[in-house]
Amino acid sequence: MINRTGEFKHILSVDIGGTFTDFSLLDLNTGKVSVNKVLTDADQPEEALISGASELLERIGVGYNELRLVVHSTTLATNAIIERKGAKTGLITTDGFRDILELRREQIYDMYDLQARYPEPLAPRYLRQGIRERTDSNGLILERVAEDDAVKLVDGLLDEGAEALAIALMHAYKNPANEEALKAVIENHFPDVTVSISSEVAPVINEYERTSTTIADCYIKPSVSKYLAGVRDRLSGLGYTGELLVMHSAGGVIGSDAASQRPVRLLESGPAAGALAASFYGTLLSKPDLVSIDMGGTTAKTCVIEGGKPAITNSIEVARIHRFKVGSGLPIMIPVLDLIEIGSGGGSIAWTDSLGLLKVGPHSAGAKPGPACYGLGGTIPTVTDANLLLGYLNPNYFLGGKMQLDINAARRAVSALAQTLGISEVQVAWGIYSVVTENMAASARLHIIGRNKDPRNYSIIAFGGAGPAHACDVARILGATEVIVPLAAGVTSALGCLTAPLSLEDVRSLPGSLADFNAEDVNNIFRNMEASGLKLMNQAGVPEEHVELVRSADMRLKGQIHEINVPVSPGELNPSNIEQIESDFHAIYQEFYSRRNLNIPIEVQNWRLLARGPEPIVNLREEAVTDNVDLTGALKGTRKAYFRDSGGYVDCPIYDRYKLTAGSRIEGPAIIEEQDSTAVMSPRDSVLIDRWLNLVFKIG
Amino acid sequence: MKEFDPITLEIIWSRLLNVTEEMWTTILRTAVSTIIASANDFGCEIMDKHGRSIAHAYRSMPVFNMTMPNVTKEILKKYPEKSIKPGDVFLTNDPWMCAGHLPDIAVVTPIFKGNMFVGFVGNIANTSDIGGSLDEKRVSDSYEEGIFFPICKLYDRGKPNELVFDMFKWNVRAPEMVLTDIEAQVAANEVGSKRVVALIEEYNLGDLSALSHQIRARSESAMRKAIEEIDDGVYTNEVYTDGMGIPLKIAVKITVVGDEISVDYTGSSPQVDRGGLNCTLIYSTGHTLYPLACLLTPGVPVNEGCFAPISTYAPEGTIINCTFPISVGSRLNTGWYIHGAIFGALAQVMPERIQAGNGLMSGLRTYGFHQDGRVFNAHLFSGGGRGAGSAGDGMGLNMFPSSASNVPVEVFELNSPVLVLSKEFITDSAGAGRYRGSPGLKVTIAKSSNYPGPLNIYFHPNRLSFPASGVFGGLSGKKTRVVLNGKVLSDDPKALTQGYLTLENDSDRLELHFPSGGGMGNPFERELSLLELDVRDGIVSRDAAMQIYGKKNA
Repeated sequence: MINRTGEFKHILSVDIGGTFTDFSLLDLNTGKVSVNKVLTDADQPEEALISGASELLERIGVGYNELRLVVHSTTLATNAIIERKGAKTGLITTDGFRDILELRREQIYDMYDLQARYPEPLAPRYLRQGIRERTDSNGLILERVAEDDAVKLVDGLLDEGAEALAIALMHAYKNPANEEALKAVIENHFPDVTVSISSEVAPVINEYERTSTTIADCYIKPSVSKYLAGVRDRLSGLGYTGELLVMHSAGGVIGSDAASQRPVRLLESGPAAGALAASFYGTLLSKPDLVSIDMGGTTAKTCVIEGGKPAITNSIEVARIHRFKVGSGLPIMIPVLDLIEIGSGGGSIAWTDSLGLLKVGPHSAGAKPGPACYGLGGTIPTVTDANLLLGYLNPNYFLGGKMQLDINAARRAVSALAQTLGISEVQVAWGIYSVVTENMAASARLHIIGRNKDPRNYSIIAFGGAGPAHACDVARILGATEVIVPLAAGVTSALGCLTAPLSLEDVRSLPGSLADFNAEDVNNIFRNMEASGLKLMNQAGVPEEHVELVRSADMRLKGQIHEINVPVSPGELNPSNIEQIESDFHAIYQEFYSRRNLNIPIEVQNWRLLARGPEPIVNLREEAVTDNVDLTGALKGTRKAYFRDSGGYVDCPIYDRYKLTAGSRIEGPAIIEEQDSTAVMSPRDSVLIDRWLNLVFKIG
Repeated sequence: MKEFDPITLEIIWSRLLNVTEEMWTTILRTAVSTIIASANDFGCEIMDKHGRSIAHAYRSMPVFNMTMPNVTKEILKKYPEKSIKPGDVFLTNDPWMCAGHLPDIAVVTPIFKGNMFVGFVGNIANTSDIGGSLDEKRVSDSYEEGIFFPICKLYDRGKPNELVFDMFKWNVRAPEMVLTDIEAQVAANEVGSKRVVALIEEYNLGDLSALSHQIRARSESAMRKAIEEIDDGVYTNEVYTDGMGIPLKIAVKITVVGDEISVDYTGSSPQVDRGGLNCTLIYSTGHTLYPLACLLTPGVPVNEGCFAPISTYAPEGTIINCTFPISVGSRLNTGWYIHGAIFGALAQVMPERIQAGNGLMSGLRTYGFHQDGRVFNAHLFSGGGRGAGSAGDGMGLNMFPSSASNVPVEVFELNSPVLVLSKEFITDSAGAGRYRGSPGLKVTIAKSSNYPGPLNIYFHPNRLSFPASGVFGGLSGKKTRVVLNGKVLSDDPKALTQGYLTLENDSDRLELHFPSGGGMGNPFERELSLLELDVRDGIVSRDAAMQIYGKKNA
């Protein structure tokens, strides 16, 4: 249960990423946020979690028993799939369809690579078996599951060593009876076996995607439940009395029990936290329409925030074997924040292609050996090396001085490339910076335009270790005029966890023409989803009167594959609601595509329900704003830094972010350093420090 | 002419490719036919003032590589630069200029920066209906295959050409669907024009000429360099297709001299009247250039420069270069075999890069009326097994050489009165080899019991007579096999030229075995650990492991 009152004044959030584990502690009385960052322990992530949390709590002088809430986001679930460290999982399908998982959509993802391979299916063929049973497309059961068959088949799979069983039967999204019967048989005869069924995990049409989602859920379930139970035990051993909440991919949190039951929901837990932090700042600064750019060591993630909320989509692809090639991974049908991720990070490698052009990424030097300037043996130039040579990074203040950067190593790495390209080292360094900046702007532009919006109308919020160094130029390319860099930009994601409401999304497919809308069926669907949503929210400590239920439908013109989400009114629906739904669809369609729609019938694919608790109130500490601030105290000195607008290197002032007070104004060029990130502004830009100590850049 | 450094060129070129991606996404999201929205049968292009291609959307159907620039150059012949005005939009589906059959409609829009003409954007999409006969195999000439639009203006200075719209309205089935898709094509070009103009302004390019020159020159030199690495020589091959029950021959002679390649199809079968099996030269050229791009410059974004060092020739009046008004509707039943012919010809000089024969996909379609009068018209595509490569087994089952995806069984069943009873791998079907091909698929179909009448299944199989070939001692894959109620129909290829099969009763079963891929290398050399996995997974039987792979203990 959540402690909602009393003495519990702090909320702790923990975001475990691939390289770092970030912590942020919010004091609910003062609004002060304290942060910590430690290296992730890949083998025992809970160890780094506990040690980093204890370190932070001790520093601030807060005991575990004073925490109101612990909120956690993690890439653990995703990594279990990428690294294939999940349970040995069997798959039971309708007889005749055991190969659905391996057949995928029979589509080639790179038409010019004759060697383009697909990822191995999560269950090899000998662990995939069909059972006699059938439901038709109307949901009519043509053949039931025979108990004897089921016992024999499961026995066989367990003999082969299966530890968990995923079940995905034809048309189970329409009628779950056969899946439920099969699950009951397994629970009766083999109570220790972990089971996931498609009608619970992803009750949506399309057998491949549904099966893929169900087996992914099953595959990670044992390890995720064990991990979360372990974290809970450790925390309560240290005196914490509250519930452990976990961030899910749709930008809400759920209790760790619910998370363990449906772990596939956690797949984008980490990136979701970043997007939520962005929307939190959007609301705080009264800028409900924002684009967030979260650039870390290996990737940059972009998310569009509209009306204060991150956009949500219905599926995601994980564990791509070609990291940024769409179609080379495993599709997962879950509601997920609509992020686009590209291979542009501080560690992205610069290289030349067969055309003699300079490319940056998508490959990354990672943490080891990392960029050449880390001095850990890397010799290949990266974005970080270029930024160091351009004077943007301080070799003595990387990660707050925890790491010394070797500028000569960076120069050596870049000089090889300069020879190949026949240009100077400086031109190469500027080229690397420009290309990676352009790549981020291009992906952001496609993402914004994909929603039929104009990038010039958005403010950009930039965070992550590398984001603030590139953000002003990304904005310039997009035609945006404002960039916001929050305080502690290197650990912004962890703050996102603090702002997430408890929420659960549910979905049922009932594909058909809107004209054939059957009010009774749809009312039944919503009744069931609402009852189960209220129950789960109640279990998580949110009383019914505080739960908001939001209905919607995924709709499209007949024949289209891309659906748009249309709100549906609450209460009993009757055939007269069709008109309203239809006109809402047309309005949103028009907004999305700016196109008139000829007389094509409308189809409804899925009905969705979002059950949401109240949003936590997070009040960041506000500082007094003064005009005409004297900047000399914050000035650390100057450094030669390269700006194209200045025609080369200039003496650039360097500021200590922690000493910049609210109301300070700086004209570019300038560099502003904090522990985990460095913000760079060109001579055309200026910045104002606002009352929450955010950097608010005006782009010239 | 303005010279770009390798960084500026990288940035502008990437931007241009992103524009094609935006055009592609516009069509994907707003088209309404299954074939365009779901199977992605379309492509987008940016061209300079002379119609030369400089950027090609990455996910386009590969055969459209040179189609767009070809159409655009033809447009310029009919409408010289001076007569082209802002707001003009051109349209044609001429199979001899365009993509080889009438359903492929090209929409080309000139780009204007203010009043200055700076280049073209264009796209081609496979419309869901173009009129004509429903049974592609029955036609005896092009006139029966649907409506033919010579190059015309769909919009003239922004004003719709009502005649063209009316021609669609009265000549195609489901005109609303067709016209919505065409509108998606027009919208994609609008998006593309806008972005190209913004790019020209930002970089002060004037028009696309300097950029075009440098993109093409760099690509051309990458292709020449790749060709130079192949030993000079003449490489030949012959492959056979099913034809209308009588095999047709594709003969190919590839001549490599220095940094140029010429591909000559002399000796291929004469064109055939019935069945639409003939390829126009532009279509054959597309299918010639695509596999060569895969082999030679897989990392270079496709543009006209890539293909400058490659020439294609075929005598007029053959299945590779057919003449109007011969029928062309099912030209993929011929054109898709060209890849195998080219891979086979180059096997000796590019053993590391080529692939063994591919199984090729087949489509089937149901069409009819429900009792309440509603029409149903649904497709189920099934991929063929890919051929083995030098580094591993065939890469799964897919639609090669098309970029399409399948249609989910659940969607197919929802949209037509059928029950699919199986869709799974066939044991021992994969072409054996040191690396094996991908196995073939068995798909079993019955009529839904709530559909009273007989149900026609329209079916145009590939590889009825000739399996995907193996290379370097690898064995060939398995042919297509068609079994209706236990009777094997595919033993007599002529029996299947009527274009459809009928399910009369609920108990009728149509069993389709789709073709698998060929193997590479001697099966006896297959690594034991790989073979053991195949046996464990039921891809290879124990008997076959012993007899074909020569393993005693697998």
